[in-house]
Amino acid sequence: MAEYLTYMGDGKRIFCTREKIIDDLQAGMAEAVEVGNVPDLTSEELAMLCDIVCDRNRIVSVEPGNEVVLSNDGAQNKFTGDSGSSGCGIEMSALAAAQVHERALSMDTFEFGSLDNNYSVKPLKAVIAMQMQKMEDMQNSMIVPFFYGAMPNMGLYYEPDGPFGNPPDLMREGKIEEAQSEMEKAMDMMTRDIEFMGVKMQEAGSDGFNFDTTASAGDGDFLSVLRGVELLKKARPEAQTMVGMSSENVIGIHGMLDYKGQDVAGIYPHDQAKLAEMAGVDVFGPVTNTKSGKSLAWNMAYSVALIKECEKKSNLPCHVNMGMGVGGIPMLETPPAEAVTRCSKAMVEVAKVDGI
Amino acid sequence: MTSFENERKAIATAMVAYKVPGIQKAAADAKAAGMEATDIIEAMGAGMSEVGVLFERGKLFLPHVLSAANGMSAAVKALEADLPKDQVGTKLAKVCMGTVEGDVHDIGKSICSTMLQCGGFDVVDLGRDVPSKDFIAQVKDNGCSMMGLSALMTTTMTVQRDIIGMLKDAGLRDDVKVMVGGAPVTQTWADKIGADCYSESASEQVDRAKALLG
Amino acid sequence: MSIAHMMASGLGGIRTSGDLVARMQFARKMKTPAAKEYVAKKLGVSVLDLTDVYVMRDLREALGIGVTVGLPGAPRGIAAKMNIEKLLDIEINCCEIFRKMTSKR
Repeated sequence: MAEYLTYMGDGKRIFCTREKIIDDLQAGMAEAVEVGNVPDLTSEELAMLCDIVCDRNRIVSVEPGNEVVLSNDGAQNKFTGDSGSSGCGIEMSALAAAQVHERALSMDTFEFGSLDNNYSVKPLKAVIAMQMQKMEDMQNSMIVPFFYGAMPNMGLYYEPDGPFGNPPDLMREGKIEEAQSEMEKAMDMMTRDIEFMGVKMQEAGSDGFNFDTTASAGDGDFLSVLRGVELLKKARPEAQTMVGMSSENVIGIHGMLDYKGQDVAGIYPHDQAKLAEMAGVDVFGPVTNTKSGKSLAWNMAYSVALIKECEKKSNLPCHVNMGMGVGGIPMLETPPAEAVTRCSKAMVEVAKVDGI
Repeated sequence: MTSFENERKAIATAMVAYKVPGIQKAAADAKAAGMEATDIIEAMGAGMSEVGVLFERGKLFLPHVLSAANGMSAAVKALEADLPKDQVGTKLAKVCMGTVEGDVHDIGKSICSTMLQCGGFDVVDLGRDVPSKDFIAQVKDNGCSMMGLSALMTTTMTVQRDIIGMLKDAGLRDDVKVMVGGAPVTQTWADKIGADCYSESASEQVDRAKALLG
Repeated sequence: MSIAHMMASGLGGIRTSGDLVARMQFARKMKTPAAKEYVAKKLGVSVLDLTDVYVMRDLREALGIGVTVGLPGAPRGIAAKMNIEKLLDIEINCCEIFRKMTSKR
């Protein structure tokens, strides 16, 4: 029986029959349906995914006319950073990295962000003038939409890095209400910081703010970003915002938060997009997390089923996160291009995303 | 002979409902029905695994997980008098858990600690950004025979390998089972660095840790 | 990763029209089909032309909206973006700031 070269979720090469690939696609979809409460993919969509996985060519692509916007996060750090930010360790300026992305790599948007300052809202406040200066210089050269990017990173507001009690520590001691109260105080501070950073970067000419890895510290993190976007939009209506998520469901660390009456914890991309829209976000960046022990086919169907529903329910354009370990792409610093292009095509032509 | 199906179901339901009094009552009812204390604890452990799965799927939240764990602890304490003497306070193994040096991510590791505790392990949670030598000291001086190393960044997962190397250098590698986890960590990485166990989620970790006991 | 996505699915940035479609997504929250149609109409080309370098290379130069090759004398940076503002009927923040800065006596 014919076998096809494909991959595991950790990037390892395997060979599978078409039947096995179909089984994995169905199992991945079934998991998405169960956890995310989303509809099944149609038999035509599953057949399309199967053809994408089984394509004998190394690189696959969308049909001409189906191309989508490629936005970025991580800023210049993809070149200049270390492996922690998927960086290549190349010594170059932020401007040079931005120009390479714009003029050589054909990116449709780019951003400036400072890994030297943890690429996080809280420490960046202290170097705001330098960030503004660099943004002004870079806007003089860049043509594509050019944002300021940072992670909300609410963890930095808790002990030992910040002024507020550490919620998981407090909860372990049985102090659940105290933990929730500390979280609420941290949220207020982070919301103010987001507004401050956003307004300053608009003054420096930024097209807007790209929030990267939102909700990594759970529901409070997400809620702060939504409130921060709201305040930023009120202060600077021209600020364009993209909220990129960190995981497929919002981890309930607080557990009892709501945004305008809607629960925040535990929600999946299609509901997250709705909250983003209510906050005034312009482009939403949903995430699905690759399971390294499952195959590419499993992860592809799982991710496509969740993101398709998000795209369908969202009135906002959605740019799905598709880097290492997200969007069905294997959890490997150097994921196989064969797997990346397959996931790329699947997201565009089956999930119908607006961008990547 | 009864299999206590109704009691097991009631315990599972109470665990997933995560209320401390509810869990205590379900355990007390099972005891009154004649169910062995060890079986009740095992049923609560199974319920806790389900709580872990529901947390990972966004159906339950951290306060619920910890409330369920607290409920189970209270119920176990109440059952102690009914346990065979040689089982009172005994644990499957002593495990030191921590997020490796240079990495401040905490939540995943904390959930793993809680799940292991409920699964019958004696857990020493060292917290986050733990100096590597502290893990070694736990094996050397505190009787830990298992170790859980969490890393959430590609730059810190290498510390897992370093600690295994330190264990070898100290002549302790054969005395301890090393478990690794964290977002960028995979089975391939675990194999490459010579770890004994990898699990992709907190809920599957308990079974894998038990399997290591032989 | 960026190269793989570009080859598989990318609109092409300033090689073609990707930056312009992106501008409409961010400025007006347009989904891809609407954004592409809007940009194509403003450029006076078909949607399929939006990713055709044969069409877009010269058109971008003629419109002064920035090209991917080094071209002395061709607008870059804010100069190109001021032309994009007029072309797409949108305001770009840094251009607004530039106008305010240069309107002082």
